[in-house]
Amino acid sequence: MSHTFIAIILIILAPFLGGLVYGLERVIRARMQRRIGPPVLQPFYDFLKLADKRRMVVHSAHAFLGIMHFVSLWYALGVFLLGGDLILVIFLHLLYTALIILAGYSTRSIFSHLGANRTALSIIAYEPVLILIAVSMYMITGSFEASAAFHHPQPLLYKMPLAFVALLLVLPIKLKKSPFDVAEAHQEVTGGVELEFSGIYYEAVYTAKWLDYIFSYTLVYLFAGSNILLGIGLMLFTFIYLNALDNATARVNYKQMLRFSLGVSFSLAFINLLINSLS
Amino acid sequence: MKLATYRKKSPWILHYNAGGCNGCDIEILACLAPKYDIERFGMINTGNPKQSDILLVTGPVTKRSRERLVEIYAQMPEPKVVVACGACASTGGVFRGMYNCEGGVDQFIPVDVYVCGCGTRPEQIIDGVVQALAILEQKNKDMEASVRLNTQPIAEDEQLNRRHVAASITPTPTV
Amino acid sequence: MESLLAGLVGLPLAVSLLLLILPRQLAKWMVIAAAIILSILSVFAYANTNSAVGITLPHYINEVVAGADLLLLLFFGWIAIKRKSILVGLLTMLQLGGLVYLLNNMPATAAPQLMVDELSAFMFILINVISGIIAIYSLRYIEEEPCSPFRKKYFLSIIFWFIGAMNLVVCADNLEYFFLFFELTTLASFLLISFRQDAESRANAITALWMNQVGGLAILGAIFFLLRSGSGEASFSNLLALAPAGGLLLPLALLSMAALIKGAQLPFSSWLLGAMVAPTPVSALLHSSTMVKIAPFMILRLSPALKDTPLASAIIALTAFVFIAAAVGALAQDNFKRILAHSTIALLALMIMMGALGTPVTVVASLALMLFHGISKSMLFLNAGILERVFHLKNTSDMDRLGESGPFTALVTTIGFMSLLLPPFGAFIGKWLSIETLGSYAVDARLLGAFTLIAVVCGSAVLTLLYTKVIGLLIARSGEHDRVQFEKTGKTYTGTIYALLALIALSIFGLPLLLTHFFAPVAAAASAQDVTVMIKGWSIFVDTMKLPVLPPLIAFFLLPAAIIAAMFIHFRHVDRTREYMCGEKVNYSFSSFYLTADKATPYAITIGVVLFGALLVAALI
Ligand code: SF4
Repeated sequence: MSHTFIAIILIILAPFLGGLVYGLERVIRARMQRRIGPPVLQPFYDFLKLADKRRMVVHSAHAFLGIMHFVSLWYALGVFLLGGDLILVIFLHLLYTALIILAGYSTRSIFSHLGANRTALSIIAYEPVLILIAVSMYMITGSFEASAAFHHPQPLLYKMPLAFVALLLVLPIKLKKSPFDVAEAHQEVTGGVELEFSGIYYEAVYTAKWLDYIFSYTLVYLFAGSNILLGIGLMLFTFIYLNALDNATARVNYKQMLRFSLGVSFSLAFINLLINSLS
Repeated sequence: MKLATYRKKSPWILHYNAGGCNGCDIEILACLAPKYDIERFGMINTGNPKQSDILLVTGPVTKRSRERLVEIYAQMPEPKVVVACGACASTGGVFRGMYNCEGGVDQFIPVDVYVCGCGTRPEQIIDGVVQALAILEQKNKDMEASVRLNTQPIAEDEQLNRRHVAASITPTPTV
Repeated sequence: MESLLAGLVGLPLAVSLLLLILPRQLAKWMVIAAAIILSILSVFAYANTNSAVGITLPHYINEVVAGADLLLLLFFGWIAIKRKSILVGLLTMLQLGGLVYLLNNMPATAAPQLMVDELSAFMFILINVISGIIAIYSLRYIEEEPCSPFRKKYFLSIIFWFIGAMNLVVCADNLEYFFLFFELTTLASFLLISFRQDAESRANAITALWMNQVGGLAILGAIFFLLRSGSGEASFSNLLALAPAGGLLLPLALLSMAALIKGAQLPFSSWLLGAMVAPTPVSALLHSSTMVKIAPFMILRLSPALKDTPLASAIIALTAFVFIAAAVGALAQDNFKRILAHSTIALLALMIMMGALGTPVTVVASLALMLFHGISKSMLFLNAGILERVFHLKNTSDMDRLGESGPFTALVTTIGFMSLLLPPFGAFIGKWLSIETLGSYAVDARLLGAFTLIAVVCGSAVLTLLYTKVIGLLIARSGEHDRVQFEKTGKTYTGTIYALLALIALSIFGLPLLLTHFFAPVAAAASAQDVTVMIKGWSIFVDTMKLPVLPPLIAFFLLPAAIIAAMFIHFRHVDRTREYMCGEKVNYSFSSFYLTADKATPYAITIGVVLFGALLVAALI
């Protein structure tokens, strides 16, 4: 019962926590570049400011899809944290991403379209790896339920280290971090799908990004099984790793990204699966 | 709700070159780089009018860029402020009176802060932006119409259609 | 039952003949009446089927069938000579030889030649309801076809003939009868594909013909090996009764091959793709309710015998590969109908795979996919026809302005795609059941299981992406078109689309009822084991598997409902602004990305051939 309780608290607080993670990330990134950087609460200032701007849309459907993206992302996160079916979670995750892609396609804006196309391609890049990870977890825990992984006595990391490496390699794609940030690429496509949102409607997309952090870190946490300390350690490690990577690398183009992800990350996860299925 | 104080803490910048020599632009970019680090004020260079609060314009307004300038300005949601960076943007600077130039930015859109200098220094830009923040904090005015290229935005009930604010170029009579 | 069956077979055949003679106006009403009567008859047939009913036909029918067989083959031979196709000629000769040999050696039996069980009744509903709607739709579609009035009648006539033949296929028990009906559908599809009579249609029709003839040949081979193994008569029921016996794998393998060919699985997928050249109702017919659905039907028929054999593993491996290959292939297409065709092949692979697995859950999944895929695909194809006729659009990349000029068609097409993809539409439940079962299969069958699971899940992801891409083009609008104004496309078009929309709505709201009262009994009959489907609280229990209802239900309001609502929603008191294009004011047109998979196709076909061979190898060892 207490697990459900914690999960519900986490779900309700998810946007807040995600905002904090994002704020910390901006500070850490600034410090890595020997800058002072914005205050930790900066994302929330942005949040309040965006709420106050005059409302403006390209057309209603576009803005509405952006809002639904946020809502369905929160819902998917809820299913995930409550220990729902992993396949369902991955599917819902695919669908909420599809909503933002649809929003991108629904306008006649070049950058939005480019961004939507690139987001779609990045889905091709990371989705198979996530699926492989879910399947390997199934092989070990005997259930697709995420709760089975949360309660697994032995950390899954020991049985699927390669899958964890694969996850680390695809997370930058999912979180749109360098070197795999083609989908957002501020200098190229000025934010891609987010471009046409403004004011309170952009807020939905902006906050959805924070939720995506929580989603991704929960994926990392899955590998720790019931070992909470290890889980926190893994998340911290991932946090540092992601920011260091983001600062240290330059953007690759989408072809290189696809090739790398499907070639290296996918194979790693697949080898892990083979080992699991044979042992 | 009084959220205005927070607005001051999160000004997002759009940077537009209306036809300058690139000198001021480089200074603006220098502000964003680690040495001057204006991200500590919460600023981000968004490159996107729809999510920006401050429009940094450099350069004199050339005939080719005046419509784009108004269009971009129209795409920014209120409240918003405009900072004219450099002598060109303020008055036309060294390009003033040339056949292809219209002069300062304030001929087309209302400017809130003028930053002098040819190339303006990063310190000045930061100062200008901080002044702009004070204006931004108070400002909640309605959509301003363009001064010369003006077509009034079409208002249906309470909503504005900004799609046709900047009129197309018609040959203006030479003065 | 006999009278119902006579109605189901006799009516379409009679209509098919009458259509050729009657004047146009009368023909129109007859088509509509026949479509409605057939649908009612099929529902009655389902309601009256509680167990397998054998129907023994009078003896002289055997002679008629043999005669019809020979006539049919002679006709194929004539086509081979006329079109100078050596391949068709060769296959016809082989078939003729085999048939004559079998006719001479067939032991005389008094066993019933036809058999109607729940599975057949299920197929009746699928065939008649959907084909009926398509037939009504073709009334309008064919009006606009540039061809002589007689050929228009002829077109409708063949469609009804096709329906009659399909009704026969699904209730044949005797394999010789089955062969005839199977080849009758081949002939009907050949005639329909070559309807436009240009060089391309002819070439593609010949491809369809010879590929399906290979299937026919495989059936003859199955009969031959079945008789030679000395296990009595050649019929499905006998085959199933003898199932555990080892020597039967070869005939089973041959029958499965016939099914896979009909179902356009990989090395033989080109006939279905080539069928695009025909008028669109033909594609709708081939893809949704007839022809390709023979494949999952046959596999389901055989599933008690196939289950847990190496043959089943071979089929699963093949279909898993086809699923992902077709999904990726679909992403490489721009032509709307080709996208649909590839996704049909992918989903058929899934249905066949589920049939081959043969557990209660998978059989339910297969049935659900068959029905719901039929509804959605026919709707999509009918829309493809409307797009072609009314909006003159064939390629998805040209469709970026459809949301402005034809929002209704765009919306309905979007719903069609979503019904193949999103919860809680029936097809999603089918897929979900499949994936969950494959999970346990992955644990049992280890490597093959894991491979299959990954293929299916990745394939689904690719299909999702594909549908997203198309839906994205369909909902694109410029800011000027914030309010939608539905267009008018004509009574027949709108009427048929509404009928299918109603069926889709039924598949959502009636799903729990359909699962317990429709799929479960049919699955029990088809898999020859008890299938328990229960609804308790907020969960559906299918056999041992528990599916929560709540998450997909909520997902419905978030996803499909949101996308549909996005068409109608209109924010008030909000400014409208132009799209950001660096201050430019240009109206751009957009297409979408697609992969180029041309290079991969030969490899895919090679792998398909190898896996097809594996089918035989698995049967032999
Ligand atoms: S003010 Fe001077 S440095 Fe700045 S754009 Fe004008 S000419 Fe260049």
